[in-house]
Amino acid sequence: MSRGDPAAQSDTALRRAVDVKGVALGYEPPADDRGDVGIWIPAGGSHCVGGLSATQKAKLLAAVIEHRPERRAVGPQGGAMRSEKRAKLVLLGAELDKLGPAERAALRARVGFLPAHGGLLSNLNAWENIVLPLGFHYPKRLKDAAAQVHGLLTELRADPQALLPKLPERMSPYEKKLTGYVRILMEKPELLLVEDLRGGLDRAERAQVTEFPAAYLASCPGGTFVQLDGTPEV
Amino acid sequence: MIGVYREFEACMRLAGHVLRRLRVLALPPVAEVLTRQIYFTGASATAGIVLRGAFIGTFIIAYVIDVLEADSALAVKILFWVLLRHIAPLVAAVLVIQRSGTAVATELALMQVSGEVASLRRMRVDPRDYLVVPRVVGIALSTAALTFYVQVIAVGGGMLLSALTINASIGELSSEFFLLASPVDFVYSVIKSLLFGVAIAVICCYHGLHPPGGSINAVPKAAINAVTQSTLLVMLLNVVFAYLVFGQAFFGLVSAKV
Repeated sequence: MSRGDPAAQSDTALRRAVDVKGVALGYEPPADDRGDVGIWIPAGGSHCVGGLSATQKAKLLAAVIEHRPERRAVGPQGGAMRSEKRAKLVLLGAELDKLGPAERAALRARVGFLPAHGGLLSNLNAWENIVLPLGFHYPKRLKDAAAQVHGLLTELRADPQALLPKLPERMSPYEKKLTGYVRILMEKPELLLVEDLRGGLDRAERAQVTEFPAAYLASCPGGTFVQLDGTPEV
Repeated sequence: MIGVYREFEACMRLAGHVLRRLRVLALPPVAEVLTRQIYFTGASATAGIVLRGAFIGTFIIAYVIDVLEADSALAVKILFWVLLRHIAPLVAAVLVIQRSGTAVATELALMQVSGEVASLRRMRVDPRDYLVVPRVVGIALSTAALTFYVQVIAVGGGMLLSALTINASIGELSSEFFLLASPVDFVYSVIKSLLFGVAIAVICCYHGLHPPGGSINAVPKAAINAVTQSTLLVMLLNVVFAYLVFGQAFFGLVSAKV
């Protein structure tokens, strides 16, 4: 991870020259943005990115998940906007700026994201939440889904019979995270971004989530697990 | 005025998206939402519709017989022209707005405000495919079914009351009814009620997905906008449709010159 100081910028320039093939996630803010951080994560294994402010995290996630690389208007003469500088984003060995919309969408399908609160729909129970994206993107996989979900939940020391019929309003923060996590594992993403994995959990639950990266790497060999831990913005 | 035009344009675009993406109804999660919507709007509202339909039919006939001292022919004409063609689809549409329109607008606005719509996008699920398409199709089909219930019950109830209060048998009333009826009326009712359903659902989904603000206060505002606009549009469509098909609007007060 690099910060916006001169040393870090030269480091970034060096990385630009490096082949991006072995990079799971690379984020380089616009050169004039001294307050933002750059991120360069190699493919494979489990990684933790700490110290991100809420704004930085939001910018990064908007760029990665929603395909909205930050656009910065540059208007040196009386505010006239003449050109734009954009953040550089590398996902799974490909520079997003060099891809067309269809290729970006295909690339996005290989990336999973677990928000801090699990990202569940409140009118669906845990089972329906887990199979929702699967039913949309891979309906043929649904017939084996029940066995896989039971297997994953058991591996993560949860009781499928108790959890699956629950609506999110009756779940603890840990159960919400767990449900969201299993939902992502069912799609087998090559890159998994997890926001604030331990946030809002008690000590025992924090110990349980330490098993999440191992479960992901067992389910998706060769995948990259990235934990984005933030600090509250002052 | 520009705001109204933009909202209309956005609703038309949403309706276009629904037409283009009807194939998503084959996906299991979308089919599940469609089934729930049909059950909520079409099936569980039936009991209320039966009571209201029977009440409206008997009320109109009782009033007409009392005030106009109608004979069987006039009673049947009133039942047919007023009740079957105009009142029944309107009653069904108003009930759908009251019951399902408010529910849809509120539910979607809450999902938008609480970030659940954003969660869907993060799952690469287009919220219009998952939330709008099944609701529009479900509400349109349910409105057509409810219109049919109201027509059958209101006309049946009206005929039964007429038979009891004026000197005419049910057989006589029914034969006069079937002399007036034509396949055009059936097609007219089905198309009009489907159109009402689509209009209600699209407007309610649009306002649900675009609440006026990000706070919880925006939810009731979205519901109010949805109900007001869908009621107005249904009334307008009813007038336009009647004029286009039968050359008459406002129950015959305005007629086309041939």
